[in-house]
Amino acid sequence: MTNPLPYQDTKPVGAADFYFAINATFRFIRETLGVAALHAYWGDLGREYMGLVSQRWKQGGLPAVAEYWRAFFAAEPGADVEVTITHGSSESGISAAEAMPSHQVNRENASLVVLNVKTCPAIRHLREGKRIIDPGFCQHCYYVSEAAAQAAGLTVRIKGGNGSCRQIFCFSGAEESPQNMEDIEKAS
Amino acid sequence: MIGCYDFCGHYEWTFAWLQRQGGNDLVQKYWAQAVGGDSQRHAAELIKKKAFVGMAEYWTHSLAEEAAGYVATAADDIFRIDMHECPSKGFLLRNGLEHYHDYCDHCIGWIGPVMKDAGFHVHHEHNHCGKCWWEFRRINDPSCASTEGKVAGQNDVRLHADWATHNQPLDVFRNAVDASKKNQPTELL
Repeated sequence: MTNPLPYQDTKPVGAADFYFAINATFRFIRETLGVAALHAYWGDLGREYMGLVSQRWKQGGLPAVAEYWRAFFAAEPGADVEVTITHGSSESGISAAEAMPSHQVNRENASLVVLNVKTCPAIRHLREGKRIIDPGFCQHCYYVSEAAAQAAGLTVRIKGGNGSCRQIFCFSGAEESPQNMEDIEKAS
Repeated sequence: MIGCYDFCGHYEWTFAWLQRQGGNDLVQKYWAQAVGGDSQRHAAELIKKKAFVGMAEYWTHSLAEEAAGYVATAADDIFRIDMHECPSKGFLLRNGLEHYHDYCDHCIGWIGPVMKDAGFHVHHEHNHCGKCWWEFRRINDPSCASTEGKVAGQNDVRLHADWATHNQPLDVFRNAVDASKKNQPTELL
């Protein structure tokens, strides 16, 4: 079976201190080039660096999306994330409506991948390291994932942030409205 | 979300993205300010406070977490690292990732300014294939780079057959404090 992650390391989980560098990179780009450039950076990351991920999502559909995120969070130290697929009235024990109430998605018939991020590994480690978290940190999840998803005919909506959130992926057209950026909390 | 498991992949991609925005000057500013001055400020604080002992503490933690294959050699007047299997360059090589022309420059790009600020200078070489060596000495120590094996014995990466047999030329830094000091004649202190 193909590893859902396009790039593999020799160790099973990543080095958590790299979250410091991710946070510092966002701050540097925002302070040096501006917020618009930071959004562009995230979008380019999703389209370019994650190009192989998009290809797999396009070929494998929502099951590939779920497999990717399960493997992804298994390799992130300290993550506590539940990944489920719902098909309309649900095969996962929860309905789409229960999974993501009032979350800008047509919940009646849509198939969804739901990431229930109980503990965000990055926010957790940044707090443990007593780092000043870039306030827009949680927005990167939307900009990066939306760019990667669009290339696969998918879209994402996110609610919450600052340590825990819910993210849903569905086919483009199943969403009821654009992402409301105010649904994504500032990180601190 | 972007994560730490494949961090070296998007980190290296970021160098190329920044170069498109503002050239190599912006990339070097990123290494010095974002990496050396922000992300790795715990390293800077340790080295400023504890000198060679701080270097040992920092790299013992970080290189263990990254699963590096390396040997550190410490003495009263020097801290030396022989990197035999760089975990981040190794990740890029194994996965065929190369967006920026010299990923290895990022280390001197952030370590150089940190060392300068803490009162040390750097002798360094890398072979672009996951092997490199470093020597850190106090800024007022006029010593040249050590001869092969003198400090690290058989652990000196330069003594190993695969050090300089690749097609890639070695990059050499002497008394360097940033990535711009590549392959320049030795400067007198």
